[in-house]
Amino acid sequence: MENYSVIIKNINKEFGKVKAVKSFNLNIKDGEFVSLLGPSGCGKTTLLRIIAGFEFADSGEVYINNKEVTNIPPYKRPVNMVFQRYALFPHMSVRENIAFSQFLKKRPKDEIGRKVKDMLSLVKLEGFEDRTPNQLSGGQAQRVALARALINEPQVLLLDEPLGALDLKIRKELQLELKNIQQQLKMTFIYVTHDQEEALVMSDRVVLMNFGEIIQVDTAKNIYFHPNSKFSATFIGESNIFEGKVKDVVSESCNILINGLILKTKKSEFVKTGENIYFALRPERLHLIKDSNNNKKFDNIINGTIKELVFFGSSVKYFVDVSQNITFLAQEVIFDEKDLIKTNEINIGDRINLGFMKEDVNIILK
Amino acid sequence: MVKKKNYTHIFLLSPFFIYFTIFFIVPIGALFIYSFWIAGTTDMIPAFTLKNYINVIVEQLYRSILLRSILIGFITGIICVAASYPLAYALTFKYKKLQDVVLYLILISLFSSYLVRVYAWKAILGNSGLINTVLKYIGVIKEPLRFLLYSPTAVVITLVFILIPFTLLPIFSSLQNISPDLIEAAKDLGANGAKAFYKITLPLSMPGVMTGFIFAFILSSGDYVTPQLVGGTTGLMIGRIIADQFGFVFNWPLGSAMAYFLIFVSVLVIYALTWITRLLKLNK
Repeated sequence: MENYSVIIKNINKEFGKVKAVKSFNLNIKDGEFVSLLGPSGCGKTTLLRIIAGFEFADSGEVYINNKEVTNIPPYKRPVNMVFQRYALFPHMSVRENIAFSQFLKKRPKDEIGRKVKDMLSLVKLEGFEDRTPNQLSGGQAQRVALARALINEPQVLLLDEPLGALDLKIRKELQLELKNIQQQLKMTFIYVTHDQEEALVMSDRVVLMNFGEIIQVDTAKNIYFHPNSKFSATFIGESNIFEGKVKDVVSESCNILINGLILKTKKSEFVKTGENIYFALRPERLHLIKDSNNNKKFDNIINGTIKELVFFGSSVKYFVDVSQNITFLAQEVIFDEKDLIKTNEINIGDRINLGFMKEDVNIILK
Repeated sequence: MVKKKNYTHIFLLSPFFIYFTIFFIVPIGALFIYSFWIAGTTDMIPAFTLKNYINVIVEQLYRSILLRSILIGFITGIICVAASYPLAYALTFKYKKLQDVVLYLILISLFSSYLVRVYAWKAILGNSGLINTVLKYIGVIKEPLRFLLYSPTAVVITLVFILIPFTLLPIFSSLQNISPDLIEAAKDLGANGAKAFYKITLPLSMPGVMTGFIFAFILSSGDYVTPQLVGGTTGLMIGRIIADQFGFVFNWPLGSAMAYFLIFVSVLVIYALTWITRLLKLNK
């Protein structure tokens, strides 16, 4: 029987008429970095707070390392939280903030001193002991908040959008640092975020949520390449997504009808002729064909007019009108000078061929 | 093109500063100077002597009344804070919906006339006043409680009710500024409700508590009207004595010295209290 760090069983939570969390079930393995990802209001923060003990569920159970904590107050749970707005105690120094939990536990002074020092070097803030919170930048404050939580050696660390209030550069820096620290400590991290890129970068598994329910739980890669719903396809990464109907199923592929276009996709067991489905294709899997000799390489070729193109630094996005109400998004990475020259030759209004392989399409049942 | 320097703000502020200087700074300064002069039979004699200050300390009557006033002020301040804190706490953390109503009630009490309220207390505390009548009616006492009026007790009771708004508002304000995140963080780190209060809420609200206490303390220790109306002889306070020096006794130097002595002792008390609360880690 595998050791689960956190078990969430049938948790329900309502606020007045709003169902924040509905019949939530999740098992988190020891040492896993799990992200709770979803749009605002999807219940991810509520769930985190239920695990922490700041909210009590209406029904259901929470287990931490096989011990039930459902009705135990937060100060008795073996978990600690890193808050979005740091919540550093303004009337205490950095040292006193970090040492707070140990001071409450009445640990000996020299032990506390040693532990604080270790924590400060873990979060790369040596020498900051005597500063006060108002003398810290956002990134520094968040590191102190992290140290303050980790010094307590919790069994699970909960993080509530900790990087939300930081600049992009600092955020990216801290994402990698957090991941490193987690791997170093081999601690279970539960991380709430609405930023799908952040979830992809840091997590072992992503729990995608919407309206209080789990939509998909899997590794970031699997969700990205095999989304189970329109929501999953569009929330993580970008996707071309269109409604279509299965025209027929042949030996190795399906033919999908979308607004007059017939496109070939890989065969899927769950799909029958006549079924209404969603057709999902990632933009980077849709290629601009500049030399018509390359047409044969692709399973599908569509023809359209370039409506718009946007330069993203390392890539370019093309919005291509294929028919009256269908616009495809293609993304081409600029690898070298040759690519750059090619992109400069393409203009708005040009007619262009787009090609993609049938394996790259995701068929999602409606 | 060089921008012309704008002096509009000086014009806008000067009426206030002129008024403040003429009607506050100058009189206060004058009194300070008088406190070192000597009182003559019909006039004051400019001099530089500490005789007036020494008189306040040496003379038994003045010394004891000054101390009594400080004590009454201190007790009033403590009771005001002790009564306001739980109310402010409840309004901030538990009964948020009642905040507006209670604050309006407090403000309304501030709008009513100070003098009328003192007279009202005179009626409530008297021998045939509300308290004595009720207690007699339900049989708790046979004779009216005489200490309720014309006593230091009466002064404290009256001043407490009048000054509670001055302590409630700063304490409430400082509690409002404490982010609930901080209390949650404390609990997350192992503090139960009591510890979280003692280590986080209390120190962070202490500036508001000190402000409220200072208001109540300063306003009550120097009060003149309340002791006059409900203090009787045992409730005589320094405000009355100082007023007399500027009235029929006609000893302005002594009056000024008493006033500045009162200020000096009050400041000492406040500093001592701040120092003690910091020492006990109740303050930040």
